[in-house]
Amino acid sequence: MPANQQTALLYGGAAAVRLLLFTAFPSLPNLLAGRVEVSTPVTSFKRLQEGLFLYTHNVSPYDGGVYHQAPLLLPLFSLLPNPSSHPFATNVVFTLVDLLSAYVLSQIAESGQSTVTRLFKSSRKDLRWSSLAVAAGFLFNPFTITTCIARSTSALTNLFILAAIAKACQGASLTFLLSLSFASYLTMHPLLLFPPLLILLYDALAQRSKSAPSPLAFTAFHILGLAVVIGALLSASAALTGSWDFLAATYGVRLLLPDLTPNVGLWWYFFTEMFDAFREFFLGVFWLHVASYMPGLTIRLRKQPLFVAATLTGIFAIFTPYPSIADAALYLSLVPLFRHLFPLMRYTFLALATILYATFLGPAFYHLWIYAGSGNANFFYAITLVWSLGLSIIVGDSLYAALRDELDVERPELRGKEVKRI
Amino acid sequence: MAPPEGADAPAAPKADPKPSDPPSESIVASRTNKQPPAETLESLWVRRWVILSFWAVVACLGLPMWWKTTAIYRADLPLQDMTDWADGKICRPVFPLRIAVEASPQVQDAHRLIRTTQHALDDLNEFSAHHLRLILADLPLPANASQQAIIDGTSSTGDDQDIALSVRLIPVETGETPRSHLQPYAPTLDVYYSPNQIPSASSTASPLATFVAHELHKIFADEQARLSYLLSASSSGHATKWKALSAETAAELQRQSTRVLKYAPTYHLTFSLFTPTSVPSAWDIEPALRQYLTPLLESFATISNFTIDTQVQLYATFSPSIRQPEYDEDLKAWTLRKEDLSGFINAAEWPLSPSIGEGPTVNFALYVPEQSQSPLLVKENGASSWLVPQWGGVAILNPTSSAAIPKALAKEALVPAMQTFSNQLISLLGLPQTPASLPLRLSTLTRVRAASLIFSASSTLGALAQVYQKMPSIPVPDSVAKSVDLTLGHLQQACDHFRDGRFQGALEHARIAEAQAEKAFFERSMVGQVYFPDEHKVAVYLPLLGPVAVPLVMAALKEIKSGIATLRRR
Repeated sequence: MPANQQTALLYGGAAAVRLLLFTAFPSLPNLLAGRVEVSTPVTSFKRLQEGLFLYTHNVSPYDGGVYHQAPLLLPLFSLLPNPSSHPFATNVVFTLVDLLSAYVLSQIAESGQSTVTRLFKSSRKDLRWSSLAVAAGFLFNPFTITTCIARSTSALTNLFILAAIAKACQGASLTFLLSLSFASYLTMHPLLLFPPLLILLYDALAQRSKSAPSPLAFTAFHILGLAVVIGALLSASAALTGSWDFLAATYGVRLLLPDLTPNVGLWWYFFTEMFDAFREFFLGVFWLHVASYMPGLTIRLRKQPLFVAATLTGIFAIFTPYPSIADAALYLSLVPLFRHLFPLMRYTFLALATILYATFLGPAFYHLWIYAGSGNANFFYAITLVWSLGLSIIVGDSLYAALRDELDVERPELRGKEVKRI
Repeated sequence: MAPPEGADAPAAPKADPKPSDPPSESIVASRTNKQPPAETLESLWVRRWVILSFWAVVACLGLPMWWKTTAIYRADLPLQDMTDWADGKICRPVFPLRIAVEASPQVQDAHRLIRTTQHALDDLNEFSAHHLRLILADLPLPANASQQAIIDGTSSTGDDQDIALSVRLIPVETGETPRSHLQPYAPTLDVYYSPNQIPSASSTASPLATFVAHELHKIFADEQARLSYLLSASSSGHATKWKALSAETAAELQRQSTRVLKYAPTYHLTFSLFTPTSVPSAWDIEPALRQYLTPLLESFATISNFTIDTQVQLYATFSPSIRQPEYDEDLKAWTLRKEDLSGFINAAEWPLSPSIGEGPTVNFALYVPEQSQSPLLVKENGASSWLVPQWGGVAILNPTSSAAIPKALAKEALVPAMQTFSNQLISLLGLPQTPASLPLRLSTLTRVRAASLIFSASSTLGALAQVYQKMPSIPVPDSVAKSVDLTLGHLQQACDHFRDGRFQGALEHARIAEAQAEKAFFERSMVGQVYFPDEHKVAVYLPLLGPVAVPLVMAALKEIKSGIATLRRR
């Protein structure tokens, strides 16, 4: 079968699956939109609808404290017909977002930055999946499909993160800045991806033009560019809502965690138990914990910036305040880019088993706690711990594999031998 | 949640087996007897940079954040003033009562009479803070003004606000003289005398002056006892200065104070009808309340406000903990034992909520026993009502005739119950039993309440000052400081009003002061930290930060050690 036909089949099939699920089970989107594993207070489609209602009735969407998402989503979604009566248009939009994400993901795979960068060439560089396979891994990932059906706005964030990575791989400065600004504008923490992606962009540009631009000027220009775009987005939001209150309702909520609705992350349970006096301190500790990985990883894996960015998305899926399976879906669809590391990973079975275990038992334990009343919050928290454990095993194991891979390049004589840390 | 992968990765530039790896893996490497080749300078510096980056986050962001978020904000409080108030150093409550003497124009020497009476009164008075001062009324009222019942008492109208009592001297020809009459619904004492009892210019004492002085002293004796009891109870330092109360009086006041409700600006009254059967299922409570209780509540309006609700509860059974009523042949009635009265209210099943909305709830329960068990009385004394201290009152409504219990209780049938409830309410609110004049009793209550509020607010301030000094680790928000300032201001004003004899104003300020003092003392963010000793912080910090800190510290130490070793070798 020619490649074009395969591509068409893949994208067509993915779209068909989504639209079929939307139309065959009309109540499924609402059901999934109410699941805590899929929709968090900062990404829920139901809350977006509430915000839309207020917005179209000329009330500030942040009145009532339900809507915590970015203001610019409102004019975008207000163009669509009312999703409760005419859901088709919205469904198509979310399907398209997924297809676009898959497309930019395949662009990342095609760039080959996962195995061969400017400063590093993996000894296993021939071991890789085609871009079509990577895109298929994203499109037919059940987590991605669930996110799409639930119409969670994290799908948009994922699209912009993937687009930023893809544009950085291709060395397209302007679109990179735009995509990353949008991602950061929507959910704030993608801002931490800026340093590794900047290195990726720099390497890609240097590789292409053969004469590396001055690092300082390059960094300064892109920081400035990012600040300008984000500033423009924020100003547009302020102009749209008429005040700067949206900052507290969107980024303030992410930073200060006022809504302790359970999710698959680690924060909510911890902060329900927290003494009030220490709440702010531990909020700071948790955020710094998330942020502290970025510089260390970027410095250590300076030669593989794409791997740093992918690992950071995994860390976001574990340690951010409102994670959902959408964040895990993003990370898990980036992992196949590093097919060459798979032979070096040691705990793949354990990691997959843990993820599957958490996936199936998580909803059951949530049901026991909330509906059956025969369990308590500890049940659900325990299963989210298992989920996070599974993801951290993948993150840690792939990190080990990446380092081992680098070592093999540095010292080819050690290849295939057992190593120990000294 | 410790960052094993993040923290280990930089520390292991070559390769990074987990600490938990089975030992077999490492054995393979150690058996090869080759020495590992020296680390390249590049990887050494990469490792150092990585460790430094983690430490930079900790030091540049973590430490300031820790400093900022765990700093305890303590607003400045005027501790000295607060302690002084609690010790009673600032305000020494005085009760200068003005008593207007209205003499008919024939009395030429009214001034002298007043002076003589004042002397006699001062001789009688043992309680210096409570001082009766006689003044001559400017415009004697017409004699028949006393016929008008003045219900709202002494203090609400503007002009005579400062006058606690008016004494009217009325010359009469007949009857025993001097004699006196205290009007029940006006703060007026009528003194009847025969003209020859006016003191002459030369004499220093006269029977009339002595009589008036004694009467006044008698009228205010109860109030003096109460106030001095209050003063001695609230601050031990002053007890010696004032007259010692007799043991019986003190015991009686003690008994009364235990049943009186704590003062509140608003009380919520709940009237409930309980019946073990299906009748009566209605009662004419609204007109009954309007007729029998509202006047009483209105007269209390200057002290407290009241809200009222009512309910009917059918098939209300006794709680199983008390004995069922027994038939007593002598009384020809069903009887309840006295010791069972406290369990009469079936708290588990009767819907008497402890508090609705703002202010304490006062419950009044009317119980209509079923036909076969009436009349129902208390065995020991044959009473049919009793008071539950600080809670409310219970009355049993026994049918007057042997006829069947009516479906609805008429207003007339409720009259005894209403009277009982009124008396119970009066006791619960702490209105004194004497003297006979209601306005006088109300103004006594005003003074007692205002004084006790001042004491209570002052001692709350003192307690707050102590908490502030003894617990340096609790945060004190600005709202507390603001409340304290307000309390101090209002206390001072209340005290000034007291000194000037404007007791209504004093009560109002004392009320605000008390509310603000309570608000400051029970500030939510403060109370939580009271029970949080410093040792607990270890338990807060260690479980999370310990595991994170260990790899960070170890890596840093190792690097520093190897760095020093390299320097020495050179």
